[in-house]
Amino acid sequence: MTERVTGGRVTGGRETGGEGKLGLVLAAQHDRLSNCVHCGFCLPACPTYVRLYDEADSPRGRLYLMGAVAEGRLDPASDAFQLHLDRCLGCRACETVCPSGVEYGFLLERAREVARDARPSSFLSRALLVAIQSPVPFAIWMGTSRLLRWSRIPSLLVRILPSSGMLGTARFGMAMLGASLPWRPPAMRVEAGRAVRDDMAASPATTPPPGPGERGRVAILTGCIQDQLFRRVNRATERVLRANGWEVVSVSGQGCCGALHAHGGALTDAREMARRNVRAFQATGVDWIVANAAGCGATMREYGHLLEEGAEPSAREHAPSEDASGPNGRADDERDRAAGRWFSGRVRDITEILAGEGRSPRRGAPLPIRVAYDPPCHLLHGQRVRTPPLELLGSIPKVTVVPVPNGDECCGGAGIYGITHPDLGGRVGGDKVSAVLGTHADVLVTGNPGCAMQIGAGLRMKGSGMQIAHPVEILDESYRRAGFYAG
Amino acid sequence: MTSVAASAPPLDQSLVRRIRSVVGAEGLFIDPDQLLVYESDALTQYRHPPSAVVLPRTTEEVSLVLALLHAEGRAFVPRGAGTGLSGGALAVGGSVLVGTARMNRILELDSENRRARVQPGVVNSDLTRAALLQGLIYAPDPSSQSACTMGGNVAENSGGPHCLKYGVTNRYVTGLTVVLPDGEVVELGGLEREPEGLDLVGAFVGSEGCFGIAAEIELTLIPESEGVRTLLGIFDSMEQAGRAVTDIMARGLLPAALEIIDSETIRAVEASIFAAGYPTDAGAALVVEVDGVDAALDAEVAIARACCLSAGAREVRIATNAEERLALWRGRKKAFGAMGRLAPDLLVQDATVPRTRLPEVLRQVGEIGRRHGILVANVFHAGDGNLHPNLLFDRRDPDQVKKVEAASKEIMEVCIRAGGTITGEHGVGFDKRAHMPLVCSHEVLRAMARLKEAFDPLGRSNPGKVLPDGYGPRSGAGARGAEVGRGT
Ligand SMILES: Cc1cc2nc3c(=O)[nH]c(=O)nc-3n(C[C@H](O)[C@H](O)[C@H](O)COP(=O)(O)OP(=O)(O)OC[C@H]3O[C@@H](n4cnc5c(N)ncnc54)[C@H](O)[C@@H]3O)c2cc1C
Ligand code: SF4
Ligand code: SF4
Repeated sequence: MTERVTGGRVTGGRETGGEGKLGLVLAAQHDRLSNCVHCGFCLPACPTYVRLYDEADSPRGRLYLMGAVAEGRLDPASDAFQLHLDRCLGCRACETVCPSGVEYGFLLERAREVARDARPSSFLSRALLVAIQSPVPFAIWMGTSRLLRWSRIPSLLVRILPSSGMLGTARFGMAMLGASLPWRPPAMRVEAGRAVRDDMAASPATTPPPGPGERGRVAILTGCIQDQLFRRVNRATERVLRANGWEVVSVSGQGCCGALHAHGGALTDAREMARRNVRAFQATGVDWIVANAAGCGATMREYGHLLEEGAEPSAREHAPSEDASGPNGRADDERDRAAGRWFSGRVRDITEILAGEGRSPRRGAPLPIRVAYDPPCHLLHGQRVRTPPLELLGSIPKVTVVPVPNGDECCGGAGIYGITHPDLGGRVGGDKVSAVLGTHADVLVTGNPGCAMQIGAGLRMKGSGMQIAHPVEILDESYRRAGFYAG
Repeated sequence: MTSVAASAPPLDQSLVRRIRSVVGAEGLFIDPDQLLVYESDALTQYRHPPSAVVLPRTTEEVSLVLALLHAEGRAFVPRGAGTGLSGGALAVGGSVLVGTARMNRILELDSENRRARVQPGVVNSDLTRAALLQGLIYAPDPSSQSACTMGGNVAENSGGPHCLKYGVTNRYVTGLTVVLPDGEVVELGGLEREPEGLDLVGAFVGSEGCFGIAAEIELTLIPESEGVRTLLGIFDSMEQAGRAVTDIMARGLLPAALEIIDSETIRAVEASIFAAGYPTDAGAALVVEVDGVDAALDAEVAIARACCLSAGAREVRIATNAEERLALWRGRKKAFGAMGRLAPDLLVQDATVPRTRLPEVLRQVGEIGRRHGILVANVFHAGDGNLHPNLLFDRRDPDQVKKVEAASKEIMEVCIRAGGTITGEHGVGFDKRAHMPLVCSHEVLRAMARLKEAFDPLGRSNPGKVLPDGYGPRSGAGARGAEVGRGT
């Protein structure tokens, strides 16, 4: 079993990976792990460290535990490895501050694969992953959710259920569902016609329409939950893209991006989903693949790595179906890898397509609202997209954008973290909700469904009526008022 | 090579219970797997897992915990953020780590008297961020300031790029609440108290955790300077850059920072994802920063520029806004990270030589690296001759480890011969204690040991650090987890 160095100088040592194939997965990441110089710069950026103050719950500590498994000094089934990796939000704030460019998110997914192979993960997380992958149960679950959210049941339950225990979890789930409802833009007032005209007069006129498809061709990832609970965001994305001169190609055969699977370490499943999407999108030959859910975008940018690795012998051990003689032969593998690289290079967040680097979206009608922008971690830290959403919102006449204080920190959503880790998730989430409330904005804007529901649930449980929307929904409303969609 | 003879046994159940009754269940960790993450600081060459980690929140809790450990004869090691580069926070011999991470409150910020009182776990840049709201800063700015703690700064007497002008930590500490190794709480210095004769605050700053735990720290803040100008000189050779530094100082300028980056480092940075736009064929780059009253700065920049050009600079870049300033600094600030990507392991040396001897010492350092076949890249605070050679290697190759050790020792010897010393700002800690006799006479070491004995008669506070074997409180006291012997 494991051999612990109890002190002294480290020389040589067994670093070829212990614990059989489990250690191998991490040992194969030696170069990535050793990029960490143990400087500790990431400690203050980590939401779990600054709440628990245990270095095992810091990025450096988690990387160290991964290293110890790779070296064969730590059993991946140990409580320490399981607990501290499980507690990670996967927000990747540690990557943004790391001077060594450690690819923490990538390593976390591999470590979680090792962890769940060593010891099964919690029932809730397993059930969620299975549900997302199975078309019929997923359709039933989402269908019920859609019906339920329009009823008064969720808001009633939020009011009457206790805030802790199993029922507390149910209450939070109901609040999340309630938070997935569409935002209600401020009504054009009674003297609407005049008011709007006044507003219009006060700001420069809308920009003329570009020719259809003049900018190029794009395809949108419609996603799983996004497509079910936030279809309106997909529609808005499509409309604003068209209004900005992009041809939007529809892609049949696409599906869930696999982000939740990858984050949970179910890499074989994630790879399968990646392959399906890569094939579906490649057939279209578009200029850009547009993501409007930050979590999906971040994962899709990693497809190259994911599929690259998929054919490696160590990973093959975990995926017997990928035998070279099977349906996915060597030639298929190679083709998938090339396609994966192509795919990753073409993924862009919707806000990057419309704004940033000196570009700004077509100007629509004024929208006199105060919006608070909270950056999703998988956009800010995962994709390093910081300013385009702000530029997009800032380009809309009369929209006042206020930042959320300490906005770079995670909202605690992190998939279903709020449900699987009610205590810690609740503390992270509670701080975010207080910060958001402090902005006194009309609408909270964020570009990821998970964050929208997490923060929205928190707001609802505090009795706040603050609206929640995606950045393109705000732009879309401005366009609608400008009459861009009239003809 | 110094190592551990015996490791202390785990804490017994009743001690665990008593400590938990002070700090709560989440304030004490004893699972050996979890404790692995505490076995090193930022110097990963050494691994010494502690037997437990305690995280108190208040001075009173620290005092109670130390008293409990004292009664059981257990040794302890203070730990801040573990960014130390000399192995100071290593739990040698399985000592108990007492972490200050939860002691992170700014207790008082008195802008009128430019004074702050903080708990030791406050992060350096958090203090400055809070002070800036009142137009003040905490001056010493270690490159690790976004993570390192004030307790660690006090213990290491830390410096930073801007300490050339502003001085290091000891200039800013005016008072301390110290918990002695037996749990007794003493107040040292402090503005409200009479000057008490001997400067005990001065003795504690730089004591590297060997005199007990600083539980509250009183500090002086200074006003934020009105303006800043930054300039980058690119040179063909290190000699030219060195000459520019000497000229700048000779002209009577006192820049806030004077930092040199050598050719190996420039190439490392430019080849990394942190490329800063420095020419890769340059022999050295010099960052000069001046600050103060806005009106005077343009003249100072003109002088610094002229010095660079007359020393042979091929190019001088001057930042005109905050963004450009950051860009000029990038090559210096990202150097450590960029090197971390060049090789799996990195040893950062820290030595000081008289400023004028820098070019000559650097030449010798380069030769040592070449002779051992080890890549050595240098960044340094040129203004005060504080040198940071970075030795790159792969610890999985025992041969390389040996070469790095040998090269590192030779570098130290070169610095000492040039009239320098073995540490500039990272401290002696565990790493350099064996080399202390190279710079301190037997008498001096004995005097240090007696001072340590006054604070820590039984040798239980951070055992196995700073003083070489044979010095320090008689280990006859038998602190468990404090027996440090010789071995491999
Ligand atoms: C990338 C990088 C850059 C760095 N740059 C600089 C630099 O520019 N200048 C510089 O001076 N240093 C620098 N350092 C070194 C390090 O950051 C400093 O020594 C820092 O002060 C250590 O603080 P810490 O909180 O991490 O302390 P730790 O590493 O946890 O501990 C350091 C020592 O302080 C003792 N200690 C900690 N807290 C207390 C307390 N409350 N009471 C008594 N003893 C205590 C510990 O026992 C130990 O001996 C750098 C380090 C890194 C990794
Ligand atoms: S900041 Fe990066 S290199 Fe430093 S400890 Fe964290 S992960 Fe490692
Ligand atoms: S991903 Fe987020 S929670 Fe996880 S270690 Fe990094 S900063 Fe901490």
